[in-house]
Amino acid sequence: MIPIALAEGRMLFRNTLVAASAVLIPLGLGVFLAINAAGGSLIAILQVVLMAGMGVYVTATTTLAARRQSLFLKRLRSGSAPDGQIVAGLILPAVVVSLVQVSAVLIVLAVVGTPPQNPWLLALAVVVAHLMFAGFALATSGVTNSPEHAQVTTLPLFFLATGAAAWVAFSGFADATWIERLVPGGALAELIALAWDGGDMAVMPLLVVVSVGWGAAAAASAWYFFRWEPRR
Amino acid sequence: MTDVMRSGARRHYSVVGDLARVEDMDTNTESVVRVDGLTSRYGRHVAVDDLSLHVARGELYALLGTNGAGKTTTLETLEGFRKPSAGRVAVFGRDPGDRRTVRPRMGLMLQEAGIANELTVAEMLALTGAPSSRKDSVDRLLRVIRLEHRRDTRAAQLSGGEKRRLDFGCAIWGTPELLFLDEPTTGLDPEARDDLWEAVADLREREVTIVLTTHYLEEAERNADRIGLMHQGRLQAEGTLEQLVESYPSRISFLAPEGVQLPVPITATDGALAVVETDDLQRDLHRLLSWADAERLELERLSATTSNLGDVFRTLARS
Repeated sequence: MIPIALAEGRMLFRNTLVAASAVLIPLGLGVFLAINAAGGSLIAILQVVLMAGMGVYVTATTTLAARRQSLFLKRLRSGSAPDGQIVAGLILPAVVVSLVQVSAVLIVLAVVGTPPQNPWLLALAVVVAHLMFAGFALATSGVTNSPEHAQVTTLPLFFLATGAAAWVAFSGFADATWIERLVPGGALAELIALAWDGGDMAVMPLLVVVSVGWGAAAAASAWYFFRWEPRR
Repeated sequence: MTDVMRSGARRHYSVVGDLARVEDMDTNTESVVRVDGLTSRYGRHVAVDDLSLHVARGELYALLGTNGAGKTTTLETLEGFRKPSAGRVAVFGRDPGDRRTVRPRMGLMLQEAGIANELTVAEMLALTGAPSSRKDSVDRLLRVIRLEHRRDTRAAQLSGGEKRRLDFGCAIWGTPELLFLDEPTTGLDPEARDDLWEAVADLREREVTIVLTTHYLEEAERNADRIGLMHQGRLQAEGTLEQLVESYPSRISFLAPEGVQLPVPITATDGALAVVETDDLQRDLHRLLSWADAERLELERLSATTSNLGDVFRTLARS
């Protein structure tokens, strides 16, 4: 897995377009939000969902589609590495880069503003967000024919997740809570808000279950939709 | 190398590090590849129809065929990429889809396999070798595929032929026991083709079993121990080159002089040329030349050829 991840990391940073979308755009958005917006949880919610959405979901979907289109996935599969290690190696660089970025921005946010009330819960939310987006990236790549096509196929889930995050960040979650929680990223956003601002922890198990549930749904959809070779 | 015992039908597996070695005690272990009644369908289309073949240890088996004959589907099934719709396929006595035990012993040069354009030649080779339990070095392979000077060149800048050589280098990492070569010389210039066959000859000295597909019939004629000919999903003919061509006549062709009685019967024409198809080339050629000498005639554009794989192939394609 590590050699594949290292090679994938090299490729990620040698491709200017992909590197920019994986690193610069999420980071730029993060800096913009941190400078221009107030309120710790609001920024944290948007940071995590936007950066993981861009850095993991969009980037990994794009690169997986490109690797499949160029038959590089088939080449990797012609070797002796097990499928799981190949997939993990391909996804790992995007996940690691995003985790580093999110962590850096959240640490800055905690230092310059109010720190999170429950850092462990926040860490859990960040990890689940990354796993969920990685799973959905694998699934979405299965219905994405080319890197260009990924710009379209990633839009629905990306906007759904960021929309849910914005809903929670800007409106709170008093109205139609159940709808917001059913949207991928909604319960996660609430969990981040709860971790950062504190509050009634009674709702925490439910949010964790729903968030992990979305992670499991992402893994299941990855299992079902992911393809190694272009459709004939 | 895995020891093979011929008696009994038991199999014993022992795991050494990451390499799962299969000590196959099947009765058919001399057949590294064994296919019985393979059928592959895409929806209603039958790509491969009831195909049976075997490839013995150390053998170079060429699977040839017309376009769309089912060669690639067959090969992809043997390589473990595709499940058969019916029939049984065994590689080293195991299901080729069993990646853990079978794949570490194989090398694959696919007809189409991506090279990551952002990686250099050396990085691509290293990436191929890293998960392999077979030991080798990037430098050695660069020498074999004659790409030392392109070591740090990104794959995007390689020519088609150089990419094909890189494909070959990736496939032979660590000298696999079984090597699949799917159209290995397509896109290579004559010198690079010779280099590749030289490397293949070296592998054969190490008893590597090779399954080859190619459109260059002369390569199969020159290198294969046995040849299987596919057409419309079926294996239509199989055997050594001699076995395949023995039932096909040799040909003598020439511009026949007008107004003379030839000593041998003309059986066909090829444009302006008269063609004599014969099962005894030496006898009929001698008869024709003796007659021409006696008659003081010059037989223009005279040529004599023994039957070859091309004749077999063309007959098959027309059938």
